[in-house]
Amino acid sequence: MDKTININIGGSLFSIDEDAFGMLRDWLQSLNNRFRNVQGGLETIEDIEMRVAEIFHSQKGLAGVITKDNVESMISIIGKPEDFEQQEPEDSGKSMYTRNDYRRRLYRNPQDTIISGVCGGLGAYLNTDPVLFRILFAVAFFVFGSGFLIYIILWIALPVAHTESQMRELFGSNFYAGSHGKTGPGGSQGHGNVSSGIGNAFNEIFGAIGKVIYIIARIMLILMGIVFVITGFTGLMTFILVFVFKFPNILVLEGTGLNMNFLPDFMSYIVSAGTVPWIIGLSSIVIVLPLLALIYWGIKMIIWFRARDGIFSLAAIVVWVASLAILSIVLFNEGTSFANTARTSSEAIVPRSSDTLYIVSDHKLNDVIYNKEVSFPDDEYEIFINDNLRELYFRPYLSVKTSGNNSTRIEVRKHSAAATESIAYQRLRSLQFNYGVKRDTVRLDEYFRLPEGRKWSADFVGVKLYIPEGTVVKLDKNSDFILHSNYHYRFHGRFGNEQWDNDNKIWIMSDDELVPAGI
Amino acid sequence: MDIENTKAQMRKGILEYCILSVLSRNSCYASDIIKELKEAEVIVVEGTLYPLLTRQKNAGLLSYRWEESPQGPPRKYYELTDTGRSYLSELDNSWQELVGSVNRIRTR
Repeated sequence: MDKTININIGGSLFSIDEDAFGMLRDWLQSLNNRFRNVQGGLETIEDIEMRVAEIFHSQKGLAGVITKDNVESMISIIGKPEDFEQQEPEDSGKSMYTRNDYRRRLYRNPQDTIISGVCGGLGAYLNTDPVLFRILFAVAFFVFGSGFLIYIILWIALPVAHTESQMRELFGSNFYAGSHGKTGPGGSQGHGNVSSGIGNAFNEIFGAIGKVIYIIARIMLILMGIVFVITGFTGLMTFILVFVFKFPNILVLEGTGLNMNFLPDFMSYIVSAGTVPWIIGLSSIVIVLPLLALIYWGIKMIIWFRARDGIFSLAAIVVWVASLAILSIVLFNEGTSFANTARTSSEAIVPRSSDTLYIVSDHKLNDVIYNKEVSFPDDEYEIFINDNLRELYFRPYLSVKTSGNNSTRIEVRKHSAAATESIAYQRLRSLQFNYGVKRDTVRLDEYFRLPEGRKWSADFVGVKLYIPEGTVVKLDKNSDFILHSNYHYRFHGRFGNEQWDNDNKIWIMSDDELVPAGI
Repeated sequence: MDIENTKAQMRKGILEYCILSVLSRNSCYASDIIKELKEAEVIVVEGTLYPLLTRQKNAGLLSYRWEESPQGPPRKYYELTDTGRSYLSELDNSWQELVGSVNRIRTR
């Protein structure tokens, strides 16, 4: 029995005998040669192919195998292209239309599909074996799933080639070899490439310069595309690791003390409860869409395909702008609850009887249960979160200054923000921070806290100690922590060398700052 | 002189006119037009028709819509546009003139 081949003609699939296929292919080839350089020729070819499909349908239905007889009778009905009576004016816009009609576009290839036809399409478009792309995607799948992501993007962005003309855009000049019968004997590649023959010297020179410029531009574009893809990818990976997997320590940058792993969690203490998912969802869209676009356009620059992605892009832009707008409104609304700030400050003189000053902490962070920690780099603002009680603890800001008038003083400033000033004062008063003075002793809490369940409202407690020059300052372990966290950067290198006196670290007040004793 | 060639030349001149005339009665798809033209022995092979339809459509004389077919691929149903109609009525006049001229010559 003869081998049969599956072909697609006019959008329908037929099985055809091998010898009948050869005959049909030759006929289609001559049809193509006859019309491809003619204005509207591709449409004519498409119309005729539809008619061929119709004739085959009426002869066989969908199930039967097309034989040589069928092809012969079809050809006798439609005629050989050379028998078609020539009607069109000769030479009308010959070169103009070949260029337009052979515009290439990337589609998914419905005839060569494992999952969705993306690889089949790439293979057809670049005239390469699709297996190559399948292997590449499979390998890239294991590189952080990048293969998977790129595949999904292409799957969404690329339409399926439904019509013959789309197939022609996909396959280009390999149309007959490729789209008709991939199991077939290949198809002769003999569209005589019409060279102009008018070898004008100027044309050649400009052609060569043009080619060089084109190649350089192409390389630049590919490099840019690679940068785009890498940037988009890195951004996306970071985003996923941080916000989806809360990947430990990715945002703890060594030496900066920046720890924002739990920023998304902390957010529920800043904004009103119902808006958290909105803010997270909208900012995800605002961040992720441009990254996806970057990756897609990067790929597009690298392999330079055309696809009907205009509507797709437009929709993405509309969604992005809308998300950004809504996010801005939501954030602005939330922002108004920080519009007014209330400030207070209080002061106490520390009675002195010796040249030693003790700084001790009563309420220690060690005694507090917290499960998350958020810190910001510049103002040494540290937040400790207890999610079960929904309580927040903060380290106060401590600064130590040389006293101008030989007295020892402690000054405590607080501020809180709220939508109105009176609410801000209420919040301020509810900040829980204790301090006290005794003979030669300052007592501080190691933390201040908000009352249970209260939202964060830019609360701040700052402690200023004015200490006369020459005073020996002894810090217990917890007050040392406060100093540590506040002076970590400024005193870089001084910590670790201090002298100990029982459980106290010994510092000496110089004319402008604290220095460890013995240095 | 090749008689077939001369006949073909004569047919060629009137083919566009015939297509428009067929379509002036009602919209049809390519096979309907072919059937009429074949019955009238104006065309020999179907393939002649398709490039003409494309060209007339691109010239704005015809428009088409897709219709599902009971079997096989969907069909393009062609119909005359307003431009097509006025174009046809001009051709009608010139056809009358031509017939008149030829008759005058033959019966002289």
